[in-house]
Amino acid sequence: MESKDSVIAAFKKIPVKVEEVDFAQRGYHLEIRLESSQLRAFAELLRTGNFYLSYVSGLHLTTGIDVSYQFANYGFPCRLLAHVSADADNSLPTIADIFQGANWHERETKDFYGVIFRNHPNLKPLLLAEDMEDLKPLLKKEQALKDRAAITRVEKIAEDKPAPAVKKEDA
Amino acid sequence: MTTMAEKGEHRYILNMGPQHPSTHGVLRVILEMEGEYVMDPQPVLGYGHRMHEKMAESRPWPNFLPNAARMDYLSALIYNHGYVGVVERLAGIEATPRAEYIRVITSELNRLQSHLLWLGVLVLDLGAFTPIMYTFEDREKILDILEDVTGSRLTYCYMRVGGVVRDIDDKFVERTREYISWQRSRMPMYDKLVTGNIIFRKRIEKIGEFNPDMARRYGLTGPVLRGTGIPYDIRRAEPYSVYPEFDFEIPTETTGDCMAAYLVRVREIEQSLRILEQALDKLPAGPAMAKVPKKLKLPAGDACYAVESPRGELVYHLTGDGSDTPYRMKIRVPSFSNLSLLPELCRGMLLSDLCACMGSLDLVIPEIDR
Repeated sequence: MESKDSVIAAFKKIPVKVEEVDFAQRGYHLEIRLESSQLRAFAELLRTGNFYLSYVSGLHLTTGIDVSYQFANYGFPCRLLAHVSADADNSLPTIADIFQGANWHERETKDFYGVIFRNHPNLKPLLLAEDMEDLKPLLKKEQALKDRAAITRVEKIAEDKPAPAVKKEDA
Repeated sequence: MTTMAEKGEHRYILNMGPQHPSTHGVLRVILEMEGEYVMDPQPVLGYGHRMHEKMAESRPWPNFLPNAARMDYLSALIYNHGYVGVVERLAGIEATPRAEYIRVITSELNRLQSHLLWLGVLVLDLGAFTPIMYTFEDREKILDILEDVTGSRLTYCYMRVGGVVRDIDDKFVERTREYISWQRSRMPMYDKLVTGNIIFRKRIEKIGEFNPDMARRYGLTGPVLRGTGIPYDIRRAEPYSVYPEFDFEIPTETTGDCMAAYLVRVREIEQSLRILEQALDKLPAGPAMAKVPKKLKLPAGDACYAVESPRGELVYHLTGDGSDTPYRMKIRVPSFSNLSLLPELCRGMLLSDLCACMGSLDLVIPEIDR
């Protein structure tokens, strides 16, 4: 995988949904939606390239927890953001045996959202205290919860204005 | 963790921290020792955890500006830069050209003082007390320059969406130029005093075997990564702000030990000085603040903004929902990933070498704990 195009071509073998996005607007190059069953194959594929795991994070939506994995490449500009919805029992397979750095990031995600990473070697609280395991501080209250559409970028309606949502109020 | 009895009675547990001079913050490392050798170092985090990400979600976005400075207290301006950058990117706002230059100038000054503190402290950790007195003399000059324009000496809250809060003046430019030539005149002294010191070299040469594969597995970034021969610097790899307009090198070494990380950082001081010089020469006229709506709402959608902090890659990932409060903000901090490789890196190492490794990683604990 020597270029962004070859990375996209490699993803087609899994196969995963890849979308090229505008770096100037989004700050990353590829957005990927994964099924939880594809997660490990996806990580193993990236492991064969010059990729590193930047972080693992979560997002609480009406449909459940959306876990995102950001990878970037040491060799060429290719930052990618992969989203996986946690399974019905709020769990996902670990990738800590593929990218060892995921170990702490997954523990952090468990701290903040309660997502269980299956087969994780040591899923103890990392940033929270041991007795705060049930706190899950980043879960939203029901009235604050939004669905995916509410946080999805409204695609360009007119070509001339790239950011339509900026409103001027008593400026 | 298996009990000591299972592993043999000669193993014992040593607690390093949470209050320890060479952890530079409240970090605790549980060391399973065999004599003087560290068999299993396990960092324990969270002593300084403040849940900045929750704070970001529970207040309008401008109220988070001061928080950005309180994660990594040594590169507050670079954290400022990342935060205003991500809001600007999401909202589709552009800062004025002069503001972008001022951001780069102040960020590089911030990077320099971070590297100078690290230089003094690394050598201090290894038992030499004198050099920190010299590096702090240099560092004071930067703090004085920055204090005049930002109003603070450590936890800066200087950058705003659309620009910076206060324009720099001729006095600032003049003092920064004076500082550049001062710092250049000091580097040969550090070379003789520290780099060439045989005791220092023996303490860090061939200690810590960082390699590109380990970097990929753990997400290593920053000078330690560049010490393994990978020329990866966000300022060059994913250029932000006005960095593409400057001519500077990305120093690399190939040995991947603590000495390599040391040499990379020292050479980065010169590169930052070069960027400063060029930025001061090219500094455009004009306003230091763009016209930004008074009540700016974050549009629905998400954006990332990655910047190069003195310790590596810092990423803000902001998700907006159309209100003025972020729906989610993830902050990826470099020291978190860099520290996570400690158990693998330091297994079987002498206790005194562990201090050298942690010093080379240049850890800032409040950044890890957030």
